[in-house]
Amino acid sequence: MHRWLRRAAGLGLSGCALAAVLIPGPAASGLARRVASGGEIVVGAEQEPDCADWIASCAGSSWGVFTMQEQTMPRVFDVVARGRQWVYTPSLLMAGPPVLSTDGGTQVVRYPLNPRAVWSDGAPITSTDFRYTWDQIAHGTDIFDRTGYDRIASVDDSDPHTAVVTFRTSFAGWRQLFGGVYGIYPSHLLQGRDRDNAMKDGYSWSGGPFKVQAWDKGVDVVLVPNPAYWGPRPKASKITFKFLTDTAAEFQAFQGGEINAAYPAPEPDAVRSIKAGLTDASSLVNADTGNIEGLWMNNAVFPLDSVAVRQAIAYSIDRNAIVRLLFGPLGVSGPSNSLNPPILAPYSDQHAFAGYHLDLAKVRQLMTGDGWQRVGGLWQKNGRTAQLTIVSTAADKRRELTEQVLQAQLRRAGFALTVQNRDANTLFGQILPAGSYQLGLYAGVATDLDPGLCTVFCSSNIPTAANGHSGSNYTRTSIPALDPLLQQVDTDNNDATRVQASKAADRILAAQQVALPIDPLPNIAIWSKRVSGVRGDNPVYGMFWNLSQWQLQ
Amino acid sequence: MRPPTPAPPAVPEPEPVGPSELLPSVEPPTAVEAQPGSAGQLFWRRLRRHRLALISIVVLALLAIACFGAGLFAPYGRDEQNLALGAVGPSWQHWFGTDELGRDQLSRLLYAGQISLEIGLAVALLSTLVGTVIGAVAGYLGRATDQTLMRLTDLFLVVPAVAVLAIALKKFGHDRFTIIWVLAALFWMYVARVVRAQVLSIKEQDYVEAARASGASGAWIIVRHVLPNCVGPIVVNATLSVAAAIVAESTLSFLGFGIQIPATSWGRMLADAEGTVGTSQSYLLYFPGLAILLTVLAVNFLGDGLRDAFDPQRGDA
Amino acid sequence: MLNLVGRRALYSVPVILIASFLTFAFVRATFDPTAKLRQSRESASAIRAERVRLGLNKPLVDQYGSWLGRFLRGDWGTSERTHEAVTAQIGRALGNTTQLVVWGVLVAAVIAVGIGVYSALRQYSLLDYTFTGLTFLGLALPPFWFGLIAIEFLAVGPKQWFHLSDPPLFFIGLHSGGGGILDYARHLVLPVMTLTVQIVAGWSRYQRSSMLDVMSSGYIRTARAKGVPRRRVVLRHGLRNALVPLVTVMALDIGALFGGLIITEKIFSVPGMGKLFIDSLLAGDATTLTAWLVVTAAFIVAFNLLADVAYGWLDPRVRVA
Repeated sequence: MHRWLRRAAGLGLSGCALAAVLIPGPAASGLARRVASGGEIVVGAEQEPDCADWIASCAGSSWGVFTMQEQTMPRVFDVVARGRQWVYTPSLLMAGPPVLSTDGGTQVVRYPLNPRAVWSDGAPITSTDFRYTWDQIAHGTDIFDRTGYDRIASVDDSDPHTAVVTFRTSFAGWRQLFGGVYGIYPSHLLQGRDRDNAMKDGYSWSGGPFKVQAWDKGVDVVLVPNPAYWGPRPKASKITFKFLTDTAAEFQAFQGGEINAAYPAPEPDAVRSIKAGLTDASSLVNADTGNIEGLWMNNAVFPLDSVAVRQAIAYSIDRNAIVRLLFGPLGVSGPSNSLNPPILAPYSDQHAFAGYHLDLAKVRQLMTGDGWQRVGGLWQKNGRTAQLTIVSTAADKRRELTEQVLQAQLRRAGFALTVQNRDANTLFGQILPAGSYQLGLYAGVATDLDPGLCTVFCSSNIPTAANGHSGSNYTRTSIPALDPLLQQVDTDNNDATRVQASKAADRILAAQQVALPIDPLPNIAIWSKRVSGVRGDNPVYGMFWNLSQWQLQ
Repeated sequence: MRPPTPAPPAVPEPEPVGPSELLPSVEPPTAVEAQPGSAGQLFWRRLRRHRLALISIVVLALLAIACFGAGLFAPYGRDEQNLALGAVGPSWQHWFGTDELGRDQLSRLLYAGQISLEIGLAVALLSTLVGTVIGAVAGYLGRATDQTLMRLTDLFLVVPAVAVLAIALKKFGHDRFTIIWVLAALFWMYVARVVRAQVLSIKEQDYVEAARASGASGAWIIVRHVLPNCVGPIVVNATLSVAAAIVAESTLSFLGFGIQIPATSWGRMLADAEGTVGTSQSYLLYFPGLAILLTVLAVNFLGDGLRDAFDPQRGDA
Repeated sequence: MLNLVGRRALYSVPVILIASFLTFAFVRATFDPTAKLRQSRESASAIRAERVRLGLNKPLVDQYGSWLGRFLRGDWGTSERTHEAVTAQIGRALGNTTQLVVWGVLVAAVIAVGIGVYSALRQYSLLDYTFTGLTFLGLALPPFWFGLIAIEFLAVGPKQWFHLSDPPLFFIGLHSGGGGILDYARHLVLPVMTLTVQIVAGWSRYQRSSMLDVMSSGYIRTARAKGVPRRRVVLRHGLRNALVPLVTVMALDIGALFGGLIITEKIFSVPGMGKLFIDSLLAGDATTLTAWLVVTAAFIVAFNLLADVAYGWLDPRVRVA
């Protein structure tokens, strides 16, 4: 009879399941060691990249860089720590440092290539690859960000070992080109083909120490050493980036030994787990990053269109308390005091916003001076109350905590704050470009060592209906004295004057209080004691910048 | 997230294709006799015997009073922060501990209960109302109306619940009224089906025929004669919906689509404490979880008791 | 019988068509397919061109029509999020979710029937009350609570307490590269348990209730009076009839599971339909979302049909039309 069969099958299966549970770990581990020895390292990845076409809009997630881009794409400059600063250093791709010349007002850069540099199929990396890369980024469709490449007039590849890039207009941030989070593309493999199609699901070629063996979507990415790499050979035989969707489960997986290393986002859950202590593991916290979480203000709407109000808000907030709450257990103290992140310290006044601290008397002075009256605990002017709304990305615990603290602090100072969180897509794709917000809580992220605040604060970049809402100046900052300074930062190749202009710009931004930097978002790295070779963090490439040096004991 | 498990009917309930085919050949026991007076007393007597149900009523009443009277009972404000204190475990000043913003968990639990209970009750009421009306009309009028309404019910049943919920919340906002409406829209079909099945069998009864013969209007017959005999399954489904709605809301909050700050609900508190498993702050996880557990258990036991009270002819009365 | 099935199938077609139209309209109204472009600072003209390419300026019914035509031909579009073919994405996700569903349903069915039968036979015994209590707990526990606690106490905890090199049960994904059957099983236990707990509670209560009704009916009493041994009465006559409504409910529930494992998949990092939905929702990937909703609805309709067929097949009364 059917049911007997069903019963028997069911019992059999349950029996198997039970057996699997009861067999103790060590006995079974001989069969399938996931955390294997012999140099196979498993790293937990909190996010899976959407696609592997690095210059397209579907990419643009740091985990794409960490898992595949930085290990397989050749670049001109490496980002390296020199003392307490980060600097660009020519990579192994270069035979010598690139040479910049500005004769006759035209900016030209010569890149001497290392003749030993080859792709994984043996073909040499040549200047034609530079030309192909420029062409794709400057002229392709659906490109994430063309900044810089759209200022190049031509790339001369007549000498395969020297790329000569001529700029149409001066671009001081030229060092971030042909590298960074994009890299250089193999023209001999991609010319004439649909680049996006060829790369989006992963690619087997490489110009770096590793190559992608497989990308099992939703499960993991496996890297193996690139035998044709002309630099030092990786010590590990295999690196697996395992995709985890749940932060709580991520730490449990680390404790349980399913992953050997992790690079968690600085969320409260991660901070709590680290504070509780990790067994047999090391951890590293780096607050010197390219990320600033700040309170961005829409300077074009009431009541934030008044400098006094913006400053009053800044004086209502105790940023120290917020940073202590979020990152105190990690040893991070002190808020960010510049809209340029710490890695851009040489170019910024890192104390520009230091004057803004909790000072309710100052708030009172500023608001009453601007014609406001405190009625029933809230500021009022001409019958309009100081009602503020704040938008941020939903389901982000750190930001939600920050918002709730801000609510309490602002309430005490006389401002009512309402929270309206939306998902990232709506926030960055609709709300910020359209300007339908007052306060925004999100992070500014720098992925290179060149300051470039013009994109974010020059009045020409304000998204309007006229330009289809396609600028990035979401705060609608329009300060006449600021524009020329920021433009100079973009184009001035004289480092000394460039630094001066950048610092002056910082000070204006602080005086006008267009946005308030709150906390530096630290990078957190954790790795098991069995993993050796981990050396510090890198603001662009994360803890994985020297992945080829990692080894599993 | 699961919609409420429909209360198992006393007899296997098929989905009839046509009005007169395939009806259950065994009549469902008419739990309530024709005279409402003595039936009511009978009901209370049977309910009183079901001790768990009685305890549940008391528990639920206490919970409701404590939560909706949070303004009176809560020792601290809902959003009262104490950053210097941070997260500490249960102590004399804070019976249920505090979270990382130093907010008292007992007070937050009470205020959160308002939202959770409100959602649970409102969803149950709304879905029961809509489901009963549609089921009764479909069952009584039969034929074309029945077919159309049943296809409408099918349409709603066909949508994957959580998915539609998430998208609807994204479109219409995350406040609790939207949550209530959308959850109710996903639960009413189960009530409708059950009511319809009952109505289909009851409408052939003699007293209904008699009422029809004496000229009573359809609506009057439905309300006066048919519905009172459906009360059992309706009430049971309603109580199950309360539990299902509370769990559904907590699921939504876990995914980030539910109640938004600064409001909070039990589900939200649970979701926020997700990362505390295995740490010294796991009390943040256990108290809201217990609150949900207690409420849902009480509601379920009450539902069980009500079903037994309405329907003594079952083997387990 | 075939008549019954045919008629039900025919009724299902307009239902799924209308559902797909409503889905399409709803997704169109909620998500903007060009949002991603705006994020990457594309120019206004590029955005306008994209709108024309996607046909966003045509009337809704036209858009639905062309979408439906392509969908039926197997062209489900390209995901805005990953640029992959939607068929490939959904196919992969479905494969993973199906594994969870199959194992979960199997285990849940066995347990539910077992509990239901036992509780009905030994009513009011201690074990009956225990089972009832446990099933209530299953109904009341939010599934993610259960899942997280299970991970803590059944995987991470034992590893630390007993100083094992691996946790006895794994909770990331469905397999590790290169693992065998045992590895697969160790990955399955926790997610299947979390899933089973959700459904076994309802099913076992249903089964118990159904068994009780059957046991007190006429033909059972007749069989007992005729001297048939109790066990045979229960298993041969009672169980078969009591299973009828349960099978119906099971089929309905299974249909809904394909789109309903969002929480379990999130906690255990299983790249299934639930995870695909969340990723697509957060990225505003309208193309994938529309296809996802229609596929899930189709599953529910298909299993509804299956439920009716199973009911008709198991209950002879229904067959006599």
